[in-house]
Amino acid sequence: MSALPAQSAPSPIRRRAWIPDILRPAPDRAARPKPRLAYAIIAVGGVVAIALAQLMLSIAVTQGAYEIDGYELSQAKLSRQQQTLAEDLDRVQSPQYLAQNAEALGMVPNTNPVFLRLSDGAVLGQPAAAGGGVAASAALVPNALISGVPLVTEQSAGETAPVGGQGAGLGEPVADPVAPAPPPVSDSLPTPTTH
Amino acid sequence: MNRISRHPMRRILAAGIVLVVLVGLFVARLIDIQVVRASALNEQAEEVRSTDPITVYGARGDIVDRNGTVLADSVMRYDVALSPKNAKKSKITRDEPDPADPKKTKQVEVPLEQTAAELGAIVGLTGDQVLGIIASELADDPDSDFAYVAKLVDVDTYEKVRELDIPWVVQYPHPSRSYPNGAVAGNLLGFVSNEGEAQAGVELGQDECLAGEDGEVTFIPSLQDWVEIPGTEVVHKQAKDGGTLQLTIDSDLQWEVQRIAEAQRLAVGAQWATVTVMEAKTGKLLAVADVPTVDPNDPGGTDKEDRGSRTFTAPFEPGSTFKAVTAASLEDAGLANPLSQVIAPYSYDAPNGANFRDSFYHEDTPYTLTGALIDSSNTATAKFGEQMSDQARFEYMQKFGFGKVSEVGFPGEESGDLHGGPDGWDNQTKYATMFGQGLTTTAVQIASAYQAIANDGVRMPVQLVEGCTDAEGNTTAPDVKGTRVISEKASRETTEMLENVYTQGWLAPQWNIPGYRVAAKTGTAQVADGNGGYLTGYLVSVSGYAPADDPEFVVSVSIMDPVKMNSSAASAPVFQQVMSQVLKKYRTTPSGAAAPDLPATW
Repeated sequence: MSALPAQSAPSPIRRRAWIPDILRPAPDRAARPKPRLAYAIIAVGGVVAIALAQLMLSIAVTQGAYEIDGYELSQAKLSRQQQTLAEDLDRVQSPQYLAQNAEALGMVPNTNPVFLRLSDGAVLGQPAAAGGGVAASAALVPNALISGVPLVTEQSAGETAPVGGQGAGLGEPVADPVAPAPPPVSDSLPTPTTH
Repeated sequence: MNRISRHPMRRILAAGIVLVVLVGLFVARLIDIQVVRASALNEQAEEVRSTDPITVYGARGDIVDRNGTVLADSVMRYDVALSPKNAKKSKITRDEPDPADPKKTKQVEVPLEQTAAELGAIVGLTGDQVLGIIASELADDPDSDFAYVAKLVDVDTYEKVRELDIPWVVQYPHPSRSYPNGAVAGNLLGFVSNEGEAQAGVELGQDECLAGEDGEVTFIPSLQDWVEIPGTEVVHKQAKDGGTLQLTIDSDLQWEVQRIAEAQRLAVGAQWATVTVMEAKTGKLLAVADVPTVDPNDPGGTDKEDRGSRTFTAPFEPGSTFKAVTAASLEDAGLANPLSQVIAPYSYDAPNGANFRDSFYHEDTPYTLTGALIDSSNTATAKFGEQMSDQARFEYMQKFGFGKVSEVGFPGEESGDLHGGPDGWDNQTKYATMFGQGLTTTAVQIASAYQAIANDGVRMPVQLVEGCTDAEGNTTAPDVKGTRVISEKASRETTEMLENVYTQGWLAPQWNIPGYRVAAKTGTAQVADGNGGYLTGYLVSVSGYAPADDPEFVVSVSIMDPVKMNSSAASAPVFQQVMSQVLKKYRTTPSGAAAPDLPATW
């Protein structure tokens, strides 16, 4: 019948109070607690911190972009250097270049297979002196990449020029500067000095 | 206040509905942008991005030999271009040391002539030529913004031009191809055009394996520094590198064989020569020399006919080297053995009306099959050969691989011509095919036939490509299944006969390789002149294999028209040197016992 919980004890004087049809609890106008400053600070501070972090990250990423650009430039430069060196190496490794240098030293190709067995010093096959006067093989199998590239062995060929020319130029008989005295043979074989 | 809303729930509901409607609007707008109009908006955004598509070059694959030596690789070259209208208009200032005070620098205006001279000096032109380029471009089109100064310059030149720091000179990268070993294997490798299109050889035949694909990217760069803004790169097309092609060729051996062949070609004054070195047990080509050879770095430096590989593309009538094939066929059919006997006249009138004679005069000689090969007697071979039907001989030829393109599939490779079989042979041809005339073959087919005889009668497919390894590392290799052509017994007996040709023939002193048993046959063939007759020059050839007790290598030499030495003696030294080199290089064990002697006559 009524929403009012029947908690009140009946008053001694039973007076019929006017009870409205609909009873509602009175709005509780209890004072709301004052909002805590801490929460506000945390909320706003959080937003500010996030914005700041985003800004910092963006700066860092842009900085990284510049660094990347710098590295890419230097990588391109280094790979160009690498290509130049690789092409030089290919040129020098080519068989035509090796053959030219060998022939500048006076070597000739030899196709006579003769084997020397090291265990007992036996020679298998029939050794024969390689025929000289073979045409320069550079012209036979050309390589456009080595045209104009100076030979490695030409300088030593110049140093070991025939003595006759030098002697005649100097005008006095000079002891042969090209052939040094044979080194004294010790117990082991004399080894040539190599660069 | 009197009027308290009697339905606070309604207020809440109304607020909720308004909220939902707002959110719904946003969601609808979102779907519209992200899903419905996405592609159209993307396209609009693309147009606004500030770079044109930038090409990311996919490198063309390398070609390497069997040991990994690089025979062809891709390099970056540069095209130097300038803007003629800017060249005329802009002034270049440089810091140069002040003549008055060496420690200070001052800005000096550099005249166009000096700049042009400096630029020209680097790329190999004179200053006047550079000015001429500018002037002629401006004469055609006063607003011309682009003219090439030099094409395909190397990296050093590129760096020097960059150092000049001329604002109206731009250099464009131009991927190119370099062949480090020059003309070594030039006939096989082929070459590419300036635009990178393969034009000949393995570059063309295996282009699928070697070709890379260029990619495209765009990105948004910063305005002043042209630095890529991170996260803005869009890959429109992924670049793909080409695969690495490995050949069965040994480049050292190839160089040596080319050197020997060219030296002999020049010595005997021949038009061309080919040498084929094949592994007997596997059919893999170790060296294929066609001299004169093209240097792929400079294809224009060689005549057009010499730029290919005649081993595959030039069929010729093989001549007497074909007699070994006839003998092997007879052996396998059981119709003859090394000691079979005939009496051979100098000039033979065949039952069907054909007539032919030997290359040297002799009385009627009692030849064994061995003797027919040693003396290379056409009439003796014919008398043996007519014991087999033409159809059977034709079928053996087909089994040996004649009349069809070899398994290499070289660009432009010819199949030779057997004239369609005995039905297409006239009476003379029926006999001529017994000793290698009246049909055409390529050099590689001859080598492959000898490989079948050498390998106990099993013919292995001829192989030039070892395999193709693509950019991810997957390798594809061709099929290698052999087919039996003749029996082991026939192969052994033919080998013994050929060994006797080698030791008892007239060229024995010239092609002697001490320590090894070698089986070989010479041939001196007439060359058709295209009008039904024959030229005066000959095609001299030698084909053989070693060591005969367990064959490892087949060498086949052909020399065209050696005017200074018109016999097989021209090709014998090449055979001797090449075979010695091959045996030495691969450390083949020398043969133990000597070859068994077979009688030439009875």
